[in-house]
Amino acid sequence: MRKKLIAGIGLALVAGLALSGCSARDSSGSDSSTAIKKGDLIGVALPAKTSQNWVLAGAAFEKSIEKAGFKADIQYAKADGPVPDQQGQISTMLTKGAKVIIIGAADGSQLGSQVKAAKAKGTTVIAWDRNILNTKNVDYYVAFNNYKVGQLQANALLQGLKEKKGSGPYNVELFAGSPDDANATVFFNGAMSVLKPKIADGTLKVVSGQTTFGKVNTQGWLAQKAQSRMTDLLSQYYSGDTKLDGVLSPNDTLARAILTATKAAGKDNPVVTGQDSETASIPLIMKGEQYSTIYKNTTEEAQAAVDLVTTLSKGDKPDTKIDKTNNYNGVKTVPAIELTPILVTKENAVEAYKGNSTLEDLAKAGQ
Amino acid sequence: MKNLKLLFGKGNSIGQYGMIIALIAIVIFFSITTNGLILEPTNVINLFLQYSYILILALGMVMVIIAGHIDLSVGSVAAFVGIIVAQSMSVWHWPAWAAIILGLAVGALVGAWQGFWVAFVRVPAFIVTLAGQLIFRGANQIIGQSTSVPTPNDYNAIGAGFLPDFGPNTNYSNGTLLIGLATIIALIVIEVRGRNRRKKMQAEVPPLWVSIVRTGVLVAVTLVATYLFGAGPVGTSIPIVAIILGVLTIIYGFITKNTIFGRQVYAVGGNASAAVLSGVSARKVNFFVMANMSVLAAIAGMVFVGYSNASGPADGTGWELDAIAAVFVGGAAVAGGIGTISGSIIGGLVMALLSNGLQLMGIESNKVQIIRGLVLLIAVAFDVYSKSQGRPSLIGGMMRQFQRKDTEQNTVAAQQPQSIQDQPEKVNTQ
Repeated sequence: MRKKLIAGIGLALVAGLALSGCSARDSSGSDSSTAIKKGDLIGVALPAKTSQNWVLAGAAFEKSIEKAGFKADIQYAKADGPVPDQQGQISTMLTKGAKVIIIGAADGSQLGSQVKAAKAKGTTVIAWDRNILNTKNVDYYVAFNNYKVGQLQANALLQGLKEKKGSGPYNVELFAGSPDDANATVFFNGAMSVLKPKIADGTLKVVSGQTTFGKVNTQGWLAQKAQSRMTDLLSQYYSGDTKLDGVLSPNDTLARAILTATKAAGKDNPVVTGQDSETASIPLIMKGEQYSTIYKNTTEEAQAAVDLVTTLSKGDKPDTKIDKTNNYNGVKTVPAIELTPILVTKENAVEAYKGNSTLEDLAKAGQ
Repeated sequence: MKNLKLLFGKGNSIGQYGMIIALIAIVIFFSITTNGLILEPTNVINLFLQYSYILILALGMVMVIIAGHIDLSVGSVAAFVGIIVAQSMSVWHWPAWAAIILGLAVGALVGAWQGFWVAFVRVPAFIVTLAGQLIFRGANQIIGQSTSVPTPNDYNAIGAGFLPDFGPNTNYSNGTLLIGLATIIALIVIEVRGRNRRKKMQAEVPPLWVSIVRTGVLVAVTLVATYLFGAGPVGTSIPIVAIILGVLTIIYGFITKNTIFGRQVYAVGGNASAAVLSGVSARKVNFFVMANMSVLAAIAGMVFVGYSNASGPADGTGWELDAIAAVFVGGAAVAGGIGTISGSIIGGLVMALLSNGLQLMGIESNKVQIIRGLVLLIAVAFDVYSKSQGRPSLIGGMMRQFQRKDTEQNTVAAQQPQSIQDQPEKVNTQ
């Protein structure tokens, strides 16, 4: 009897709490205007903290948003199963009344329901650094020109091969990023646009024959996967006299994994490209082990997104590009704010990192 | 009051009530800390959209655990079915209904495979499903080439969709109101018919006020739920996936409580040798329990793909652990033989509300994970502790209140036969 009474009272309490917010459904939609005002909540949904640039991103957003006069709610998805976690975080931000949601997608094609709900509420949806695919419910895309990143990486590879490995033909291998990251394909396509003619005319030889994205991708951008693939390639195709001259690597984490594999196999350092200017890679570049990286100033990227929000809050039209190569998401070409990546090698490192004290110091130290 | 026992499931003691109280406590706690956001209709709808797939898995997992096994492959099987279904629609252009049937068929085949190894070759389920986890994850990656495959909108409705709006403008979702009304009528009818049947059998009928309070509590819960689902923004209602979950819960609740097969599952889990000696086919039970789990995993996978609008290469990671946590928080015993459908649903809701509430409070994912782990540990520890102490069962204590007043005939002393000729006329069958 007592237990039932307690259960009954408990349920009544819950009912009371629920019904105290009793309002019929929002048939007028959000009549609280969708305009963005100072002090509004901006939700930032970032993927798992698997590489340094994401850690920097969170800090950068917090600073920029606060400076711009808005409230920030910054969430990272958990590494083990980021997609459902991020879906929940975005839904929660909407429930909390965010006026703008900036999304660094863990998987850009699995957020359709969330962005649909966001647009139904009149929230502005900004895809950040990674596009959100197969939906019309994205307003803006803020990122570096990723196709150009691929092209810069390919050019760096060719440049490095000429500098360090004598005259051609050169033996190279290709690596690409994670298949569920829309950017990975763009990097790869950009790079192949430069490398394909060189492979066709014989300057470059991909000894393993693995040249399609499907064969060369690295699930989850995981270093251990790149390392094991490189080890297998070396034992299969590069035993004996065949030398590996260069490797196209889409980012610094994978570049270091590849170098670990070649070192362990006792081979000479190939010319390896990279991206993200990670603190662990800059000393390697100054030493000459990794050939190049790309500097994408995460702080600048975060600031660009916050500036976009400020522009929208003033009611102005933002200065966006319509770039089909880079920003077509399967349904529409998302208006984008494209930033320019910078190719960094030993020669221009100190110069390129001016303004970023951490990286600049690392570059100077290695000189 | 056997009715009440029936409601909350047989074979449970303090754990069952403990979880309901924990659920209510969590709701109250988060209502305070999130300023009532957790009970907003939009949030409740989101909760079910987001976590229904885990609750569907928990339905199957509880039967597996009752039978004394475990299934570690559900995430991989769900992902495997998900990619097959997504590909069938995007590459072979099958209509949604055909793809769903394909998904169920694949789930059944996978389940038959795993059931065969567990039931007939008698490999421990832990190993069979661990192997399954590896096999089907690999198969998923091969089929999908580790890419995300988007799914068409009509399919996505099973995971992300709502009931269509129709009828007069009542400012609520009419579909939800109708379902709520139907549920309330069903509850009343079941109670009334139960009483009439007991009267006809000349069994003891609980006093009228007991029936009224019991049905009243359930009706109140239904009313609250109907309001929470029906008052969301225009275009939403009780999510279709929640309806699927509800139907499955009713079906599996019926199977576990009211069918021979259900009792056989409990028997095999409680004491397999005794069950076999009593004529239960342990092989059949084990086979069907494992097969059933994979079919439910297929449903969960398909529903999740619908909600995400695409099947992704990382789908299914960690799902088995979420489902197992839900089942154990809901009061199942590690050794098997104990557990209920309603308990698992409540356990699943506790974990879901916990995650949801913590997210609303803005706590970061890693801390949420730590808290969830601790809650799981404490919940099961409490359950194990209270069972092992031989505490008087709360249900037993409650039962005593509702027995006929203690007369000389009903006291324990009176029930003991003093000698073989001295049998009491009526033995109280509590």
